[in-house]
Amino acid sequence: MLQRFLFLQRKSFVRGAGFATGLAQKILVGFAWVYFAFVFAGLGFIAFFYPQEELGEDPLVFLSGYLIYGVVFWVIARYFLQKMPMVHVQPLLVLPVSKKSIVRFGLSKTVLSFFNLSNLFFFVPFGIILLREEYNPLGVVGWWIAIGSLILATNFLNIMLNSVDRILILVAALLVGLYALQYFEIINLTTWTAPLFMAPYNQPLWALLPVGLLVLSYRWSIAHFRNKLFLDSEAMRPKKETHRAADLSWLDRFGRTAIFLQNDIRLILRNKGARASVWMGFAFLFYGLIFMSDIYSSPVWMVFIGIFVSGGFLFGFGQYVPSWDSSYYPLMMTQNIAYKEYLASKWWLIVVGTLVGMVLSSFYIYFGWETYLAILAGGVYNIGINAYLVLLSGAYTRTPIDLASAKKAFGDKKSFNLKTLLLSIPKVVLPMFLFYVGVLIHSKSMGIAMVALVGVLGFAFRNLVFGWIEKIYQHEKHQTLQAYKQKNT
Amino acid sequence: MIDIHSLSKTYGEQTVLDIEQLHIPAGQTFGLVGNNGAGKTTLFSLMLDLIPPSSGTVTNNDVVVQKSEAWKPHTAAFLDESFLIGYLTPEEYFAFIGGLRGMKKEAVTEALEAYADFFHGEVLGQKKYIRDLSKGNQKKVGIVGTLLSNTPVVVLDEPFANLDPTTQIRLKNLLKEEASATGKTFLISSHDLQHVTDVCDRIVVLHKGKVVRDEQTSTDTLKELEAFFREQL
Repeated sequence: MLQRFLFLQRKSFVRGAGFATGLAQKILVGFAWVYFAFVFAGLGFIAFFYPQEELGEDPLVFLSGYLIYGVVFWVIARYFLQKMPMVHVQPLLVLPVSKKSIVRFGLSKTVLSFFNLSNLFFFVPFGIILLREEYNPLGVVGWWIAIGSLILATNFLNIMLNSVDRILILVAALLVGLYALQYFEIINLTTWTAPLFMAPYNQPLWALLPVGLLVLSYRWSIAHFRNKLFLDSEAMRPKKETHRAADLSWLDRFGRTAIFLQNDIRLILRNKGARASVWMGFAFLFYGLIFMSDIYSSPVWMVFIGIFVSGGFLFGFGQYVPSWDSSYYPLMMTQNIAYKEYLASKWWLIVVGTLVGMVLSSFYIYFGWETYLAILAGGVYNIGINAYLVLLSGAYTRTPIDLASAKKAFGDKKSFNLKTLLLSIPKVVLPMFLFYVGVLIHSKSMGIAMVALVGVLGFAFRNLVFGWIEKIYQHEKHQTLQAYKQKNT
Repeated sequence: MIDIHSLSKTYGEQTVLDIEQLHIPAGQTFGLVGNNGAGKTTLFSLMLDLIPPSSGTVTNNDVVVQKSEAWKPHTAAFLDESFLIGYLTPEEYFAFIGGLRGMKKEAVTEALEAYADFFHGEVLGQKKYIRDLSKGNQKKVGIVGTLLSNTPVVVLDEPFANLDPTTQIRLKNLLKEEASATGKTFLISSHDLQHVTDVCDRIVVLHKGKVVRDEQTSTDTLKELEAFFREQL
C-alpha cells in the first residue's frame, strides 16, 4: 500500500505544473539541508564543550535545563513555518483502501520534515560525544528516546494546531501563561523542568513517559483525521462562508479599472488564502521594528526595511499575480478585455496597496524622519520598479492557486512560504546596491534619493515597460492557460 | 462570420484536429457533434485562442483570432467552469461580465429579468457564491453570462449537460428564441443528438478530428445521425 501512495506522490510531483521551478527549488533546498546539517552538528559540539570548558558545568544537565525552551520553540516555529503535507484523498475514498492507511500516510509524510530531521543532526552528535565521554550508555539512549519522542509529539501537536482552532487557542494560552509565570518570577521554569528532562538519563524507564505521549498524540491525530474523511466535512471542503455583501459601488466612478478592482477586493475578502496573504503583508509593516535598535550601525539595512515595510502588500499578495485568477483564467482571456487593461488593473491594485502601506507606516516617524524617508523611498521604488518585476515574474510562475482549496484533507493554510521569500530577493538587492552607491558618492540622504529617483524613472517609463510586459504575457498566454489547468500539485 | 482555413492541431505524432475549410455564416445556429476525442472542445478552444493551432487560422468577423484580440468585443463563450468566478454571487458575476461589455448595472439587472424562467428561482437572490451552487445552476449562470451581453457570436460547449430535463427544454426554447430574435451566430456542441437537431440549423459531425458530415438540419437529420453513430459501434 505504501508503495502505491509513494507512486501517487511521485507522479503528482513530476507532473505538477510548477515542476521546473519545483525542481530548481528542490536542488536549492538540498543545499540548504547540507548546510543546516553541518550547522546543527556544529551546534551539537558547542553545546557539549562550551558548558564543560567555559562554564564548568555538566553539559547534559546544562542542556536539559534549557530543553523546555526547545520544546516551546519547536511548537512555535513549527506552527509558523512548517508546511502541512497535502494528500489528494478524494479519489482514494471509494477505493479499497482503509481510511486509516490514507491518514497514516499523510501523517507519516510529516515525520520526514526538516523540523524533525534537523534535530537529529544536533542530538545524534551530542549523544555520541556523551557516549565517548563515558556517560552511562543506557542513560544516553533513554535520554535520546525521550527527546526524540518529544520532538515527534510536537510534530503531531502542530498538525492538530493547524486543524483545530480550539487547540491552538488552548496551547497559545498555556504558553503565554508559562511565560507570565517565568516573567513575574513566580516559578523558575528551568529549575522545575531540568530534573524532568534529566529523569530519562538517570532512570531510562522514564523515557516511556514521552514515548507514551508520542503514541497518544499520534493516535489522536489519526482519529481526528479519520473522522474528517467525508466529502462534507470541513477539512475536505471550505466552510460555506456567509455572503459578505460588500457594497463596492463607490468604486464605479473609476470606470473599467473599477470592475477589476471590485473583483480583486472581493477575491481578498472571500478567499482564505488571499486574506492570509494580505494579513501577512500587513505584518510586514512592523518588520522594521526588529531593526530599529541598531539601525544606524548599518545604513544599508534602512533601504532593506524601507522596501519590506512599504511593500507588504506587494510581497504578500502581488507576488501571486496573476495566479489568483488561475481558476478562471480562460474567462479572462475570452472576455472583452485587452491584455494591457488586465495588467494595468493588477498594477493599479499593487500601487494602491503600496500607497496604503506607505501611509500606514508613518508611525516610523517616531524613529526619526530619515527612517520614514527611507520607507517612502522604498515605497516609490516598489511602485516604480518592483511592481513591474512582480508582474514579470508572474508571467513565468504559473502555479495555479486553488481558491476553494477543496478536496484536500490536510490543507495548507499558509500562503506565505520559503518560495515567496526566495522570489523577493532580487527585488531587494538592487535598491540596497543603489543606496550603497549613493552613500559612497555622497551621503545617506543621497542614497535614499538614488533609490527614490530610480523608482520615479521606472514610473515615468510606464507605457514602455507595459508594452514590453504585455508582449511577454501574450507570448506566454497559451502555456499559462495550460499550466493553470493542472489544479493540484 | 467565422472562417476556418486549413486548421490543424497536433500533439506530438497525434493529430487531434484537421479541418481544411469551414465557413459559418452570420446568424447561423451551428451544431457540433462527435464522440469523445473527436475534437469538439479543441475546435472551440482554437476559435477562442485558448490554445495555439499547429497550422492554419480562424477568422472571426474579419479578425484573425491568432493575430489580434479584436474578436473579443463581439464574442462570448462558456466552455466549462473555468469561465466562472467562484467567489462571486451570480449577480456580481453578471455585473462583472456586463461591465466589461460596457453595460450599466441597471441594464444588467433589466436584462436578467428575461432569464427568470430559465433560472427557475434557483440562481438569483440566493445569497450564495457561485462555487456553492450545484453543477446545473453553475451551468445556468455560465450560459446566461454569454447571452446577457448581446454579442453577435456565442460559443457554448455542451450546454445541455448537467441540466435537469425541464431546464434542458427551457434552454432549447431560449436558444431558438435568441437565434430568431437577435440574429446571433450560435456555436453549440452537444452529445444529445435530439437537442442539437432541435436547435441547430446546421450540424457538423467531427470524427477523429475531421469533418465527416456537414448538412442543413432536416426532418431526417436525427435518424441519419443516430445511424451514423450506430455504425461506430
